[in-house]
Amino acid sequence: MTKKKKGANEDKIIETKSKTVSGKSQKQKKPVEIEESLKEEDLLQESGTDSDYDGDSLPESLDSDDFDSDFFDSEYDGTQEGTEDGDVEFSEDDVLGNLLEHEGSIDNVDDEESEQVESDNGEEDGSDEGSERDEAVEESDSSEDEVPSRNTVGDVPLEWYKDEKHIGYDITGKKITKKEKQDKLDSFLATMDDSKNWRKIYDEYNDEEVELTKEECNLMRRILKGEAPHADFDPYAPYVDWFKWDDSIHPLSSAPEPKRRFIPSKWEAKKVLKLVRAIRKGLIKFDKPEEEPNVYLLWGDDSTSDQKSKHLTYIPPPKLKLPGHDESYNPSLEYIPTEEEKASYELMYEEDRPKFIPKRFTSLRSIPAYENALKESFERCLDLYLCPRVRKKRINIDPESLKPKLPSRKDLRPYPNSCYLEYKGHTGAVTTISTDSSGEWIASGSTDGSVRMWEVETGRCLKVWQFDEAIMCVAWNPLSRLPVLAVAMGRDLFFLNTELGTDEEQEITKERLHSGNIPEPEASVAAIVTWLPDELYGGIKIRHFKSISSIDWHRKGDYLSTVMASGETRGVVLHQLSKQKTQRLPFKIRGLPVCTLFHPSLSYFFVATRKDVRVYNLLKPGEATKKLETGLREISSMAIHPGGDNLIVGSKEGKMCWFDMDLSSKPYKTLKNHPKDITNVAVHRSYPLFASCSEDSTAYVFHGMVYNDLNQNPLIVPLEILRGHSSKGGVLDCKFHPRQPWLFTAGADSIIKLYCH
Amino acid sequence: MDVDREDVSRRLHVKFVTKLDSPFKVPANSVAIPSNVTRLGLSSIVNSIIESDNPEWKTEPFDFLIDGELIRMSLEEFLLAKGISAERTLEIEYIRAVTPRKEEEPSLHDDWVSAVNGSSPRFILTGCYDGLGRVWSSAGSCSHILEGHSGAISSVALVNSNDAETVTVATSSKDRTLRLFKFDPTESVDSTTKVRAYKILRGHKASVQSVSAQKSGNMVCSSSWDCTINLWNTNESTSEGESVSVKKRKGNNQGEESQSEGEAVTSLVGHTQCVSSVVWPEYDVIYSSSWDHSVRRWDVETGKDSLNLFCGKALNTVDVGGEGSALIAAGGSDPILRVWDPRKPGTSAPVFQFSSHSSWISACKWHKSSWFHLLSASYDGKIMLWDLRTAWPLSVIDTHNDKVLSADWWKGESVISGGADSKLRISSGIAIS
Repeated sequence: MTKKKKGANEDKIIETKSKTVSGKSQKQKKPVEIEESLKEEDLLQESGTDSDYDGDSLPESLDSDDFDSDFFDSEYDGTQEGTEDGDVEFSEDDVLGNLLEHEGSIDNVDDEESEQVESDNGEEDGSDEGSERDEAVEESDSSEDEVPSRNTVGDVPLEWYKDEKHIGYDITGKKITKKEKQDKLDSFLATMDDSKNWRKIYDEYNDEEVELTKEECNLMRRILKGEAPHADFDPYAPYVDWFKWDDSIHPLSSAPEPKRRFIPSKWEAKKVLKLVRAIRKGLIKFDKPEEEPNVYLLWGDDSTSDQKSKHLTYIPPPKLKLPGHDESYNPSLEYIPTEEEKASYELMYEEDRPKFIPKRFTSLRSIPAYENALKESFERCLDLYLCPRVRKKRINIDPESLKPKLPSRKDLRPYPNSCYLEYKGHTGAVTTISTDSSGEWIASGSTDGSVRMWEVETGRCLKVWQFDEAIMCVAWNPLSRLPVLAVAMGRDLFFLNTELGTDEEQEITKERLHSGNIPEPEASVAAIVTWLPDELYGGIKIRHFKSISSIDWHRKGDYLSTVMASGETRGVVLHQLSKQKTQRLPFKIRGLPVCTLFHPSLSYFFVATRKDVRVYNLLKPGEATKKLETGLREISSMAIHPGGDNLIVGSKEGKMCWFDMDLSSKPYKTLKNHPKDITNVAVHRSYPLFASCSEDSTAYVFHGMVYNDLNQNPLIVPLEILRGHSSKGGVLDCKFHPRQPWLFTAGADSIIKLYCH
Repeated sequence: MDVDREDVSRRLHVKFVTKLDSPFKVPANSVAIPSNVTRLGLSSIVNSIIESDNPEWKTEPFDFLIDGELIRMSLEEFLLAKGISAERTLEIEYIRAVTPRKEEEPSLHDDWVSAVNGSSPRFILTGCYDGLGRVWSSAGSCSHILEGHSGAISSVALVNSNDAETVTVATSSKDRTLRLFKFDPTESVDSTTKVRAYKILRGHKASVQSVSAQKSGNMVCSSSWDCTINLWNTNESTSEGESVSVKKRKGNNQGEESQSEGEAVTSLVGHTQCVSSVVWPEYDVIYSSSWDHSVRRWDVETGKDSLNLFCGKALNTVDVGGEGSALIAAGGSDPILRVWDPRKPGTSAPVFQFSSHSSWISACKWHKSSWFHLLSASYDGKIMLWDLRTAWPLSVIDTHNDKVLSADWWKGESVISGGADSKLRISSGIAIS
């Protein structure tokens, strides 16, 4: 009897587990349980009395069809005879009597069900039952519920009656005799024969067998399923809130708050102190770091192991391809290439040719040494050794997004873009143009030796001055009331009276250009310049010792600087028209000067040499000069923003530099736009425009916005390429109209063009 | 009639109507014409209809209007574009085509002709870069030469056009002065008479660009590169004291006939750049255009500008006319002739833009009597006649070899123009009803 072998220890454990369940079952007042409760009492003796349950409302009972009767067999073995497997004495009669009572109902129970449950839940159910019963004894006070047990010995260990022939006393005081113990074999056979045996429970306290009813079995089945034991119980009944949530007028208790509510608990403090001490001594330890099992797949393919490759930048080398049928020493015939195929391999490129040509050998012995073995293993080693299998960190950026966000050209209007007017009349290349401060006239000089004055509006040539030499530079006096044109050609600088302006202005002009009383030159400049009357046009001319390359008026219209490119240290002089005298710069110039500029508002003076631009203070000659490093090979021209903080420098290599002098002495932006020499650059006086013209016969117009906010860098946007001049010689000069967003360009094709917006 | 032999899939029933007088009238029957016929085809149809009644008829070009819009494409396309049903009988109004039918001999000048004025039907005024103003009684016959300016004349204006014996003319010049001349246009035209100014108006600090006379009154206004508009009296002497002092100085300089000098009555200040053109269409309203990209309307009484239209381009010329003499046309440093309607509330966008020119516009003039017609002259050497009812030019006069600097209507049916080719051109025979 294997069933009997189940130890009593096990049973006990189960019993304690199921106390609650069993206790709950007691409230269910069912007549069927009467017999059970008797048995339970017996069980209680073994498990010790647990009297602390109240019957709960949950009507669970043990009567379930999966009840394991076998289990109880073993149980009472254990209790009555200890752990030994001795024969069990039965009082057959009692059991039979009990069985008779229930027989009718039991018939309905399926055998299959019971057997199924048997194996799974037998133990637990048994224990449930056991503990349930003792509650029944204590609890039940209704006579209906409780059938007084036959045995009246009470809660005593049944061991005491082990050796007796009786098991106790009935209510009348008579001895209840033990049933005669059946032979084990007989009892086993009886159990086997009896189809309802699985439903029988032996009640050792009363020494009888009890058979469970069908209802009880159903109950147990439901419990096992985790449902409410009774089918008519609704676990989801609508909640009835019996509590009255309205505030009651009177408190439940009018007693004042006791003092203990306000003082810290002494005992808690003691407990805390104890814990603190324990922690200090190190008896309690927190947050013991969990050790992770340091195991990995040793034989796994490391090339595919994601876990590692996620962290490592190292890429494992690919494994060598395993040999296939081709490499077999005796492959099937279809793998062997025919002679034609072999011949075709010879015609293929070396890269396309198959690396291995399958061959057949009759036996392994006849396989020759593989000719590529050394080479291949060497290459493999090279691959392993030299190939940098490192994950490169490459930032995936759309190159378009790196482009600076430039505003649309439409928003930057107006700017010059189309040519409507041409000024024709020169017969040679127009080398220089200058605009009158009002914007009504422009003057131009050409290689044909003529200086012409044009009306901007109509393109009418108003005046022509003819000279013998090619004109190098023309410059209007910036004062509108002094309509004087400075013209440089060769070594001479002429001041021409344009005869514009009102009568009073003309008088002043004539006075200025009066050549009658030219003062004696100072000794320091006598070798450099000579002031002479101009016989040709009645003005003044200044003869220099070298040819003039560039001139620039001071904003007040009195001083004029001339640059003699080959004059070296004496290459830059300042002329004063009102006093008709010349002075040298109060400082030494390093390098060959190319062009000069007066600051539009301050007393600074810019001198461009071939490679860089130096800034001098004319009023404080001793002050340290600032050097702007252009990084260009050869400067050709420069122009200053009307604000005075930004300088544009054009170079002969087609590059243009924008200097923000507040920012740095290095160029803020270098624009490489022209394929040929830049001949001139220009900045508009009022519109945020600047332009460059070049020998490639184009002029570029840019938007160059300078902000008052020092935090904001100038905005430079290329706007338009102005074409139109014929390709020979290019564009030699460009100037903005002083008030309109128009650009004049002077071409080597002897035409001046006006580009309007 | 080539219509008959055309393979015509669709025919339209049209009725030709006109407001023209009897020789141009056609019977009011509806005729079926092919739908793909253009203006030329329509014109030949009308001509042939008239010719059938009147054998001496000379072919005349016509222009056609449907619902007040000129047809400038094939009839089919026009109906599609305008969404007009072709089912019913279409009423097509025809007018005589606005195009010059005769080109007069050019009147030669010594220099560029910078100003023309055709306000008087009796003569044409021109201003020239040689500083002389000229009066032409007809093409090629110069009756008077107005001399005195030391700079190029930029504009000429007829001061009073009443039929008095003498007329008064104002000229403005790049020598910063205006001069007023008086002459008798009815003099014999055999010899050219030289006329000296009776009054010199000084006060501008820079070149005077434009002059315009009050319609009925004795005031002229002038605009200049010094950004101002000056108003002047044209009387012989405005105030006694002033004229005396002037005479004294004048006497020193020239010492001959009484030449008085005038000073500006008032100055309208507001423009920030060269004021390129002024017109004085009503008694107390002056319109001006400027290189500061604006057109302004000035109230002469208060001297304030009551309207300021911003254009975006430097403007060279302005004229007022059209419907109710309220539309403003202006052109400048781009090839677009813009027309504004200042009565239209809430917007300063032009109501019409004509952009067939290829260079700056130097002049634009409204026709004196028509509400729809205006002309524009451009540096591309062309004069274009425009009708507000179509975006295409009615006709292009391309007689100048160089820039056209000035143009005007004359006698309601001619266009006079002067240009950088030193010629005054008269294109006559323009039929504007």
